[in-house]
Amino acid sequence: MMTRRRLYSFIDALVAGRRPAHFKADPEDVEILRTAIELRAARPGDAHPNEQFVSDLLQSLVEQGDSEPVANVRPLRGHRARSVVFAVAASAVLIGGTFVGTESFTSSPATTAAIAVPHGDALRTGTFETPSGEVLGQVVAYNGHPSWIYMNVGDSQSTGKITCKLQLNNGSIVATGNIELNGGVGELSKSIHVDVQRLRGAQLFSSNGTVLASATFS
Amino acid sequence: MSLTSLPSDRRVAYPRTVSGEPPHLRVVDADTYTDWEAVYRDNIERLYRLMYARVGNRPDAEDLTSEVFSTALGPLRLASSKGEVRSYLLTTAQTVLASHWRRTLGQPVTFIDPVSDINSLTEPSKIEEPSDAPQRAGKILAALPDRYRRILELRFLEACTIKEAAQVMNVSVSNAKVLQHRALRMAANAGLELEE
Repeated sequence: MMTRRRLYSFIDALVAGRRPAHFKADPEDVEILRTAIELRAARPGDAHPNEQFVSDLLQSLVEQGDSEPVANVRPLRGHRARSVVFAVAASAVLIGGTFVGTESFTSSPATTAAIAVPHGDALRTGTFETPSGEVLGQVVAYNGHPSWIYMNVGDSQSTGKITCKLQLNNGSIVATGNIELNGGVGELSKSIHVDVQRLRGAQLFSSNGTVLASATFS
Repeated sequence: MSLTSLPSDRRVAYPRTVSGEPPHLRVVDADTYTDWEAVYRDNIERLYRLMYARVGNRPDAEDLTSEVFSTALGPLRLASSKGEVRSYLLTTAQTVLASHWRRTLGQPVTFIDPVSDINSLTEPSKIEEPSDAPQRAGKILAALPDRYRRILELRFLEACTIKEAAQVMNVSVSNAKVLQHRALRMAANAGLELEE
């Protein structure tokens, strides 16, 4: 009943053009939510960005970029006050370092070496899901020079370190690494020397060895 | 593809040769952006519209669009073709949207597919509605019984509150909620049938 009320509230917000509140949706509600969004998006009016938004965002990006020079490209890594930068594959292209075979990896500070943009078949993605089907995070692997792996995890039930293992198509484990959770969230990015096309997936383990979640690369 | 058959809008770049080594030829697209602001101006409207179609409300569409640009523009290499840049923006948008749903509802509600949605960024920008959303919504609504269609029209297209919709349809508010729920469920099925 509580979920149903929140579903109605979500739809009411959509109809009114407000930002809907967060709630934990049931899987059977997804099609209803998707249809509500589709019907709302068909109403004329909000489908175009307003000029103020376009100019404000540009200004915000310029100001942030001026304080963070990157290579020969005028940089933009700022964001509007309301937006939160997190868990996006793109951020991993800024990560340096190397990784080989079964060597452990851990989160490392970012460096600022711009490399070619990922495109085409270069990216493989997977979603971390718990044994009960709950989405816990994402993993992105980029096949390039260097190849890299990026993952983000959000698990309010876990604290401290969790371990991630990368698995090849033949079942062998080629990499392990730790993610430090702060406030239930954490991320890890690293260059890897593994053919990304040979990766089957990744698994997350709690400190006592229990499987928290698994992801299979698309 | 032979060099002589290259389309006119592409050119062959000749990197400097290393002594004793054959030159490496690299085909690059002449259609590139001059600076990141050009990337922004060429894609901001279309990317916003795509996000709006996926979340259905302006505040979230603005925030997610901002996030895509703030994340993607930093590591961009302007030597990349426009097509590659757009593909990269879409890939970033795909991840940003997936994270949004994971964070807000815990379920993936809508998606961006960098392959099938690439037209959203490559079609000429138009003032009028750029997508087929109204037509598709019209087909979905047309597939519903009258009362189901009417409650959804009142709510989603005419922006009525549930109380206003109940008054127009001469039912109680609680009946209007039930009607809306059943109508949405039937509309969802109709939408799925349209995709088949």
